[in-house]
Amino acid sequence: MKTIIEPKILKGTRDFLPEEMAKRNYVMSTIKAVFERFGYDTIETPVIEYQETLLGKYGEEGAKLTYAFEDNGKRKIALRYDQTVPTTRVVAKYGNQLPMPFKRYQISRVWRADKPAKGRYREFYQCDVDIIGSDGILADVEIAKVISNVFTKLGLNNFQLRFNSRKLINAILDALDVAKDNQSFVIQRIDKLGKIGLEGVAKELQEVLNKSQIEEIKNILNITGTTAEKLQQLKKYDISEVQQFEKLCREFGVAEENLVFDISIARGLDYYTGIIYEVELPGIDIGSVCGGGRYEDLCGMFTRQEYSGVGVAFGFDRIVLAMEELGLLKQVGLNAQVLVTYFDDEIISSNLEIVNELQAANINTELYIEPAKLGKQFKYANAKNIPLVIVCGSDEIQNDEVTIKNMLTGKQKTVPRKQLATYITGLDI
Amino acid sequence: MKNVTIAIQRRGKLRAGSQQFLERKGVLPYIDDSVLRSSCEQSGSDILYLRDDDIPEYILRGVADYGIVGENVVYEKSANVTIVQRLGFGLCNLVIAVPNNSGITSVSELDGERIATSYPNILQRYLGKQGVRASIITIQGSVEIAPELNLADAVCDITQTGNTLKEHNLRPLEIILKSEAVLIKNEL
Repeated sequence: MKTIIEPKILKGTRDFLPEEMAKRNYVMSTIKAVFERFGYDTIETPVIEYQETLLGKYGEEGAKLTYAFEDNGKRKIALRYDQTVPTTRVVAKYGNQLPMPFKRYQISRVWRADKPAKGRYREFYQCDVDIIGSDGILADVEIAKVISNVFTKLGLNNFQLRFNSRKLINAILDALDVAKDNQSFVIQRIDKLGKIGLEGVAKELQEVLNKSQIEEIKNILNITGTTAEKLQQLKKYDISEVQQFEKLCREFGVAEENLVFDISIARGLDYYTGIIYEVELPGIDIGSVCGGGRYEDLCGMFTRQEYSGVGVAFGFDRIVLAMEELGLLKQVGLNAQVLVTYFDDEIISSNLEIVNELQAANINTELYIEPAKLGKQFKYANAKNIPLVIVCGSDEIQNDEVTIKNMLTGKQKTVPRKQLATYITGLDI
Repeated sequence: MKNVTIAIQRRGKLRAGSQQFLERKGVLPYIDDSVLRSSCEQSGSDILYLRDDDIPEYILRGVADYGIVGENVVYEKSANVTIVQRLGFGLCNLVIAVPNNSGITSVSELDGERIATSYPNILQRYLGKQGVRASIITIQGSVEIAPELNLADAVCDITQTGNTLKEHNLRPLEIILKSEAVLIKNEL
């Protein structure tokens, strides 16, 4: 007897069926198109790398979460954990051959040996865009404009691009005499403002700061108003970077209502050194949908040469979720725009001719693959959400006509056979 | 100071009105319509005589500072130009019409039908707002004979008196734009 294997998949991994893939592809290609409009190119790195390349780059937590194994030839192998480390390896290895500054985007799958939970997967996509090899502020500004164009193109027009400066945070902590060793701790606590509130942050800061230091940080976190008004209240610190960044962003066309200076954004990671970004979608409770910032000496673990970079990662799954929630993906259908019916072997040649003709006119057209009753073929069209079905039987051929059924309205239209392709093109489906 | 460049229609329905408007402003164009370009010294202007469809393009490219053109042309080209003044001549309507013997009595019934027009963009936007999806056939002229040739089930065309429609046994269904000549300039 034949053994049947249960068609199951690992927890934390996902199958995507055609309808969902169509939506994901639409979002992905929209994002890609924006990256490419700014002249970013993409690279690909292996899914499997030497463990020594990947391990030790993500801290203790990361090491635990890296899929690591021995292959059949006893080599120590690890699965791609993120796109940043392989990219820095690429820059270190091919730096001389790459155009500098190196503007690259990358959208690919990464793997984490994590405990799966809601919204946490073992296999998921990362979607990064970076400028490596320039420390100019315009690079930071361009990334902000890329973010703005991505969300606008996706129809998420009320996105909030919150930004801050690590330099400014450090300057404030220096001015408050916070010991260098404690600054990272303080920054990570400030980052939790959204989660635990001002008093929560203040309480946790008691561990390393005195009362007056905490009071001053509370005052700073409490400032409100427009970006200009907030900066006015911080002008005793070095606000020049933030000012210049904001001015250039506005000149580049990032709308004022989308760009918010937020002194509480810290982004926990230690390697940020300048402007940092975080994007939220007001009214949709899924947290940050994009984040990143400026980092210095990114490739330091692979080369002595220093490369400063700036970049962000888009939360691809969250963006898809948000768009679905807002009904922005309803229009995304499967690929076929037209189904040519097939119910009579005698006239198959004219059906094939129609398929050729419509495909040549850039209309995604499929032929029903076996002769069947019309009703069955209409059902198939409905199941695939194909908007138009062509009926061309012997009557139509005799009259040199063809009938097009609109599956949405049920209306049928007969036009001269020679007008078929232009008729459909004119419908602009 | 640099002369102001003004583009007007060379031959056609707007020529006379454009000429009179400019004359009232002290700008004196040539009367002879074989001339493509002239200068009016006393007003410090250069005048270009162009096909009206091309006028927004000249404005957008900064070759002309001002132009006189029908609103229908401005909206069809979706030109990013600013309308400075409505000029009150060159009045016409952009109308959807169907053959007298057609069963179609409302715009919503145009769904899936063929409509011939020289104004595909205006028509597309209008139909989109009405939630109607029709097959638009773009032709540059003689639109009114499209139905009798079985090229289209309806037309969308400019009329002034409605006589041309009548002559071709067409009945108006809906006015989608009331247009007149306008003075335009570059948006920037």
